[in-house]
Amino acid sequence: MIFVIDDDRSVRESLDDLFSSMGLEMRSFGSTQEFLQSERPDAPTCLVLDVKMPGQNGLDFQDQLEKLNIHFPIVFITGHGDIPMTVRAMKAGAVEFLTKPFNDQDLLDAVQFGLEKDAVRRREIAEFAELRERFATLSSGEQQVMALVVQGRLNKQIAVDLGVSEITVKVRRGHLMRKMQLKSLAELIRAADKLGMSSAAK
Amino acid sequence: MKRKLDFTSITASWFLPMVTAALAIVIFIADTVTDLEIAIAVFYVAVVLISVSFCHTRGVVLVSIGCIGLTVLSYFLTSNGSPHSGLANLAISLTAIGATAYLALKMASAEVAAHEARAHLFHIARITTLGELTASIAHEINQPLAAVVTSGSASLRWLGGQPPNLEKAAQAVERMVKEANRASDVIGRIRGLAKKVPPQRNRLDINEAVREVIILIRSDIEQNNITLRTQLSDGLPSVYGDRVQLQQVILNLILNAIEAMIKVGEQKRELLISSMKENSKNVLVAIHDTGVGLEQGKPEQLFDAFYTTKQEGMGMGLTISRSIIETHGGRLWVTPKVPRGAIFQFTLPAANKKVRAVQGRSAT
Repeated sequence: MIFVIDDDRSVRESLDDLFSSMGLEMRSFGSTQEFLQSERPDAPTCLVLDVKMPGQNGLDFQDQLEKLNIHFPIVFITGHGDIPMTVRAMKAGAVEFLTKPFNDQDLLDAVQFGLEKDAVRRREIAEFAELRERFATLSSGEQQVMALVVQGRLNKQIAVDLGVSEITVKVRRGHLMRKMQLKSLAELIRAADKLGMSSAAK
Repeated sequence: MKRKLDFTSITASWFLPMVTAALAIVIFIADTVTDLEIAIAVFYVAVVLISVSFCHTRGVVLVSIGCIGLTVLSYFLTSNGSPHSGLANLAISLTAIGATAYLALKMASAEVAAHEARAHLFHIARITTLGELTASIAHEINQPLAAVVTSGSASLRWLGGQPPNLEKAAQAVERMVKEANRASDVIGRIRGLAKKVPPQRNRLDINEAVREVIILIRSDIEQNNITLRTQLSDGLPSVYGDRVQLQQVILNLILNAIEAMIKVGEQKRELLISSMKENSKNVLVAIHDTGVGLEQGKPEQLFDAFYTTKQEGMGMGLTISRSIIETHGGRLWVTPKVPRGAIFQFTLPAANKKVRAVQGRSAT
């Protein structure tokens, strides 16, 4: 889904022409306020944002979205962009900064890239959520073992650390690998990394 | 020589010539029936002076020649009195008429020259103002052009599809036409403001004049984070005037307001443009800003020529604006706004019979 925010109706309409000719779904808003009040579908999204708008300008809106924890990829379009403007937008993570009138292919490429980027981001979020869910099913003993394993401790050392038998460590380790649906130590370390466990362990 | 540079004649065109002719006849009769010693013919100077207000140079010359003819004719027709003193009086009258005609024409041509110089100054000021607007104007033209390009690309894609979608392509092309017209309208308005044409007065809707100016300057307003509000009253009487000059005034006042607000930093910037009926005779337009406001005590100084608070100002904007409003029979003044800013207001007489009197008076 593409969201266009531009105060100029003619720009919104022409972008509607362009995106619909490519079979892309688009919704447009006259102001950032209007956009925030609308419902956003649960699908990969890219924002096409005009820099200069009455009320809140596009760059400030980019900051606001960051604060609201909304991370849509943003393609900026502007009547006359200058270098500071472009630098600010790109530093804050914009996908592209286009000056009107822009080449249609440039915009389509940027939007396409934004949509893919968002799809990846969404997938990562989903994976992370799943990982956390699985981690939550571990018993506290299993979590302790996992933390020590990823620190590179051997079963024997872990048994000493925790004051349990080596057999118990091995059993817990088996359980946790099954619950986390992981097959190798490498996978376990990657998962722990994603969960931010290396710091949590200490 | 062009007369009535500023005004299309509103006062009934037959009225003054009739009065003048009647006056000439009265003087002729009086001059003929009285003695030769009485130099009634000197009053023909009044006829010549009045004729200046409705005749071109040639007309004034003809009227003067006519008056001279009538004076000479009276001299021969009058039987009473001494022919000697009559001859002396004749010489005095003829000299007076001739001298009056000469001076009146001189004055008229000087006035026309002054008018032309003023119109020229107004024009230069207008061009300067438009110069300040280039960024805004570029945006107003660029925006529709961008839409044309985008819709054009879209229609090519619709046409290039298999099968081509003609309906969608046509829809996109329709938008292109609409947007191209919009760009061309903007250019038309700028040309209207930039063109050097003799001032001409027409009935006009002041709200429409304000709206047209706003279109040109909107992007300047937005770019400076200024919130624009308009309160243009419906059903205002039309005013009588030169659209270009009045828009020049509005533009000037708005630009001043913007500059005053830029100076106050990041505080809330609000521009309010309102129009209303001041009373049964006048329409009032007010431009409120939340800018730096007025210097203590001397708001009138702002209207002095070459008085400026700006780095790169000539100090003529408000002087010219006031001059334009005053030739339209209105007033332009400024009051402080509480808590911050200034309100520039001007009145214009509503276009009705009352306006004629004003026009007549200022028509020189």
